[in-house]
Formats: sequence, C-alpha cells, structure tokens
Amino acid sequence: MSAPTIVDAISPDGLAPTVRVEHLNHFYGQGESRNQVLFDNGIEIGPGQLVVMTGPSGAGKTTLLTLVGALRSVQEGRIDVLGQDLSALGRRALVGMRRNVGFIFQMHNLFDALSAYENVKMAMQLGECPVAEMRRRGTAILDRLGLGNRVDYKPRSLSGGQRQRVAIARALVNHPKLVLADEPTAALDKDSARSVVDLLKENTVENGASVVMVTHDHRIIEKADRLVHMVDGRIASDVVLHDALRICEFLKTVDAFQDLTPVELTNVAEKMTKRRFVKGDVVIRQGDMGEEFFLISDGTVEVMREGHDVAELGAGDFFGEAALISGEPRNATVVANDNVDTYVLGKADFRAAIEASASFRDQLYRIYFVRH
Amino acid sequence: MTATPRLGRQRRSVGFVPLAWRNLLANKPRLLRSSGGIGFAVLLMVMQLGFERAFFNASLEVIRLLDGDIFLQRASKYRFATENPFPSRDLEAARAVPGVASAWPLYAAWHRLFWRNPADGKNFLVRVFAFDPDQPILSLPELDANLKGLSDLDTAIVDRRARRFLGMDPAPPAAELNGSRIKIIGSFALGPDFENDGTVVTGDRTFAKLLPNPRGGPPDVELGVIKLTPGSDPITVNRAITAAVPTDVAVLTKGQLLELERKFQADVSSAGPIFAMGTLVGFVVGMLISYQIIYTDLAEQQPQYATMKAMGYRSRYLVQVVLEQATLSALAGWVPASLASIVLFRIVGEVALLPLRMTVELALVSLLLTLSMCLISAVLAVRRVITADPAEVF
Repeated sequence: MSAPTIVDAISPDGLAPTVRVEHLNHFYGQGESRNQVLFDNGIEIGPGQLVVMTGPSGAGKTTLLTLVGALRSVQEGRIDVLGQDLSALGRRALVGMRRNVGFIFQMHNLFDALSAYENVKMAMQLGECPVAEMRRRGTAILDRLGLGNRVDYKPRSLSGGQRQRVAIARALVNHPKLVLADEPTAALDKDSARSVVDLLKENTVENGASVVMVTHDHRIIEKADRLVHMVDGRIASDVVLHDALRICEFLKTVDAFQDLTPVELTNVAEKMTKRRFVKGDVVIRQGDMGEEFFLISDGTVEVMREGHDVAELGAGDFFGEAALISGEPRNATVVANDNVDTYVLGKADFRAAIEASASFRDQLYRIYFVRH
Repeated sequence: MTATPRLGRQRRSVGFVPLAWRNLLANKPRLLRSSGGIGFAVLLMVMQLGFERAFFNASLEVIRLLDGDIFLQRASKYRFATENPFPSRDLEAARAVPGVASAWPLYAAWHRLFWRNPADGKNFLVRVFAFDPDQPILSLPELDANLKGLSDLDTAIVDRRARRFLGMDPAPPAAELNGSRIKIIGSFALGPDFENDGTVVTGDRTFAKLLPNPRGGPPDVELGVIKLTPGSDPITVNRAITAAVPTDVAVLTKGQLLELERKFQADVSSAGPIFAMGTLVGFVVGMLISYQIIYTDLAEQQPQYATMKAMGYRSRYLVQVVLEQATLSALAGWVPASLASIVLFRIVGEVALLPLRMTVELALVSLLLTLSMCLISAVLAVRRVITADPAEVF
C-alpha cells in the first residue's frame, strides 16, 4: 500500500522552482540596535508565475526582494535562485548573479543622457547578446512595448508611462528567468499602469519567467497568479489565486455547489488544496477517523464497504463528507482507479463552510441522507 | 533547466554605450559652466607658468647670446647678474693655453650706471655690457652695423625694447650715463627682464672711462668668453685652463652658466616659489571647481548608478566611467583656456615687454596639471558611486 503522492500545487509541471527560500532570517543594524526584520520565511516560486506581494510598509517585502535579487547578502537561512545557493556565493559572484535577474523600480532610473535604446543597451552589454545584434534586439523589445517610434528619444521627451516601459525593456531585454519589481506602477496613471502590467505579464510569465512584484495597486493584484501577504517580517498568507479560480470554475459545474453564491464559492475554493493520487492509492480507509472532504476533478475511484464494491465515483463527485458530518469513523474505503486529481477540504474548513452557507449545508445533507 | 550565472569578466567595451561622453554632453549649460570654471583655473595656471618661463627666459637671454665655448668667472659669483669681476691678467693666462683660439672680456655693470632720460631728465639704473668692438662676443644681429662707431669714445647703442620710461624707443641722439654725455649711435631689440628695465652696450674704452679701475689698468673682467680652436678637445682644454688660472676663477661651459642662473632663479630668488604658489592656487581652485561639478553630477545620478549595480555592473566599471568623464571635462576646460592664453600671452607680452610664449612644453605641462586636477577631484568624489547601495534603490 502506497502513501498518497502529494503533488505540490506550486509547481504542477514538476519543474524546479525559480526561487526557493528556506528559514530566512534577516537583521538590520549591529549589536544593541540589531533589529530583526525577517522571521523564518519560506517560499517557493515556480516558473511562469506572477507573484504579487502585499503588506504594510516595514513588513519586510522589499528586504525579501533585495535578498532574492542578490542585492544583499544572506545572513541566516538559504535562498536558491535559478539553482544557485545565494548564501554560498561571495561578493563578486553575487554581483554576477544579478545579471540573471531583471529589476524594475518604482522610479525608472534611466540615464537622462542616453536615448531609450542606449538605456536598454546598458543592460544588453551585460548579457550574451553580440554587439552586432544589439540594435536589432533592443529595437525589437522597445517595439513590443509600444515604443517603436521612440527608440532614439531621450527620457526627458517621453511620458511617465513610456519611461517606465523603457525601464521594463531594459529589465527584460536579456530574457531573465526572474523579474523583481517594486511598485513599478506607483508613479503612473491608471491607463499606463494597466498597459505596463499587461506588457510585463505578456513578456515574462507567458514565456515561463517568474515575476515577483511588490504593489498595493488593486488593478494589478487582480492579474496576479498568487498573492503573498507579509506582516511584521513574516509571510502571513500565500494564496494561489490561479488555483482558487480554477477550483471555483469547477465547483460551479458540480450539482452540490450550484446554489452557492459567488462569494461562498470563492470562500470554499480558497480553502481547498489540490492533491493527486495514482492508481491503487487508498484515499480513505473504512474505520479510520475522518479528517478531510474530497472532490474529484479528474479520474475515478472505487468505493468499497466490507470488501465489496459499492460504487464508482468520477469527476464532479465527492466523498468523505459522512464522517465529518456524523463524527463517526469512515464507513467505506476509497481506492483510486487510475490517476486521480482531487480538491481537498480540511475538517475545520468544511465545518466552517457549512456554517457559513445554509444552501451548501442543505445540499450536502440532502446527498448525505440519500446515500445512507 | 536553469541558467547558470555568468560570472566571467566584463567584456571589452568596443561598441558599448559611451556613457561618460553622453553624460558630459547631456546638459549644455552645465558643460558650459564646467568648461568655463575649469578653463578659468587652467588659465590661472598657464599664466603663472608662462610668467615663470618668461621670467627665467628673460634673465637667461643675454647668456644665450654670448658667443663662446668656455667661460671664466669668479668662483664665488653665484649668478650672472651680480658684479663680481676678476683681474684681466687671469684671462690672459687662459689665452696662453693650447687649444684656446681667443679669450675676450665681457665688462658689465648692473648697479653702477644711471641713465638719464633726455625726454624728462629723470635718472634710472640700467645694465651696461661692454667689450672690444673688434671682438664682438654678443651675437646680437643688429650689433655688426654699429661696431665701428662703438670704437669711438662716449658712444653707445641702446635697447629699443627697454621699458618705455627710459626713453630708448626711438633711440635718442644723445643721453647721459652717470652724468657723462653719450652719443647714441644705434639700437637693438633685447627686452627687459624682471630686474633690469633697459640695456646699454658700449665699447671697452667708453666703459673704462665711465667706470675706471681704481687700481689702474683695464677694468676687471665680469666674464671671460673663450673660443676653442677647431678640432681641440673641450674637456682637455677645460682642464688645462683650470690648471692655468687661480683657484678663485671658475671654468664653465655655457650649459653650466645657464644652469647656475636657472638654479638661482628657481631656488634662491623668491620668484620660483612665488610662481609655484600661484600655480598651486590655480590648481586648487580648479580642483574645487571640478570636484563640485563631478560631485553634483554623481549625486544627481546616484539612483542611476545604483541601478547599474543592481543590474550587475561592478564598481570598477562605474569608477571608470566617472574617471573618463573627468578626463573629458578636463579637456573641455583645457582646450579653450589654452587658446585664450595664446591670445592673452601676445597682449600681455607686448604690454609687459616679456617673452610670454605658449610652447609645446608649456601646453603639455598645463595639460598634465589639468588632467591630474580633474582626476584627483574625481577620485575624491567617486566614493559616492562606490558606496551607492543597489538595495537602497528599492
């Protein structure tokens, strides 16, 4: 009998994470005035994710970002970026590491003396692009960011949004696998901010790069795949918005959830985690205490009671609710027939969801009584 | 698969963005202020250096004009323009040495003869050189025409480029030296130096009449001018003359004579330190100006430089950019200042009757000073770039 194979929701494709942070502590100051700003932080960021970091000022967002970007030395804990352990790198190597990361700042920080293209070229000079290729590549990326007719303009004769797009071109021109941005839209109006983020997203996550962005701009948060909230130097919550949305969409197609309001659906979806089982895995065992509720999104399972097949359940079916409702041990064993994807809700969250939604409770109880 | 970080050396900068050049040209009013400020300091330095060279050259001019291979003077004579003559018999001893073709005396007075300006009747101290008109030992081109006349008693030729208040330009028909009436039979162009306002050249007989030797006989010799027979070895002859004359008479080459005067001007006289001080002031003023300019520029662009560091540029590259920019602004100040000083030298040289000239040597020295002035201030200001913390840009 094999244990359930837990597939990490963060890297569903099984790719190595772009960033892995483990037990990270960070301090400012020395001796008496030493002040801890990061407390035992851990996070993994996979390729193709737009991660938005929020939190009050002083929560440690920027410190975390600068540590991941090799702009500060790791003091305690470990950070792996693109497979390199930053804490093991010397000063020189840290500077070299920065060349693999694209940085976008609140202020564009372009050289006034250089044209848009030359500012972008400053970044290309650090990359692998041959000198003869630079003009073509630099023009191409500026063109893609809507600055095709502004290539040789100085920043002074560009608008705020255009300048920030030049800064983005500079950050992206070497195709970094990791982009770090700190309030990139803070100085921009609504329309510029939206187009800047759309362009940023198109040119990064859609090509498999990871983006970590600190922002308080709600219009951007909507576009995030994942929302990390920091408070007082700790990651207070880490919500994969993308999965929650997917679960939400799926829940809508399931009969049992059809009467739930959108808010209720979202609440349930956000509490659910994805779990995969392979053929032969025992999902629940008759006689065990029940702790979780399962919803099948893909594949089939066999339900057995006293060694006899009772039923086969497929996509959209759920099981495990009986033990949670009655408080009795599991009344059946469920085994995966093939590879099965499920969404799992813990006992406490399940009860909370029932409490919160009369319609959800009615739906579940109806099915519960039908089955027994 | 993740990219391995490229930690190798920065590639050669061929075809790279000329950041220093762009920074320099970006702000035209600032460039104008910068080259104006640095140029002003350069002008200060060049004028000081030019005056110093004019000062030295003017005092060396007469020595350069002396037509001889070996020179005799009192061993205790510490510079040319000081009266410390030796008896003429010592010169005769030298004349007898094999290899010596001729040995003739130069008589001189710096502090004993007063020239009376016939125009206003005022008396001024002048320097007077005298020699046998048949043996002209000063290679002044205009001398030859007047040599015959100088053989007559109470005649002289005068310096047209002497200071105006002496009334030598144009040469008056007659004037007085120490009260004796002298007929002026011609003129030449030499120019004053910082100590002597004007120069008068007479024949040896006129000189002896004006300043007779108290012990009788010919006047004592200020400088013995010796010519060697062609083909004789100067070192051997030099040694032989040294043996033939008393130990209180020194045997010098022209180079040694010039060096003695130069050393006096640079070390003993107050002139050397005064000009060095003036140059230093110009240097410091220029350093302050260029420090101010570089520092302001770096302060304004600190976020940009910090961003460059965040992108992975090493401090070394950024320091290089700053030094390049300092070099360019040094040149932007030096070029106009050098051109201006050529014009200024011409004007001041005419007014002050000094040989002020922009030479290749002076141009190179001032360029070197300007570059070090700007580079030193760049090095002092560049800490702003080195300490720029990329983590602070966030």
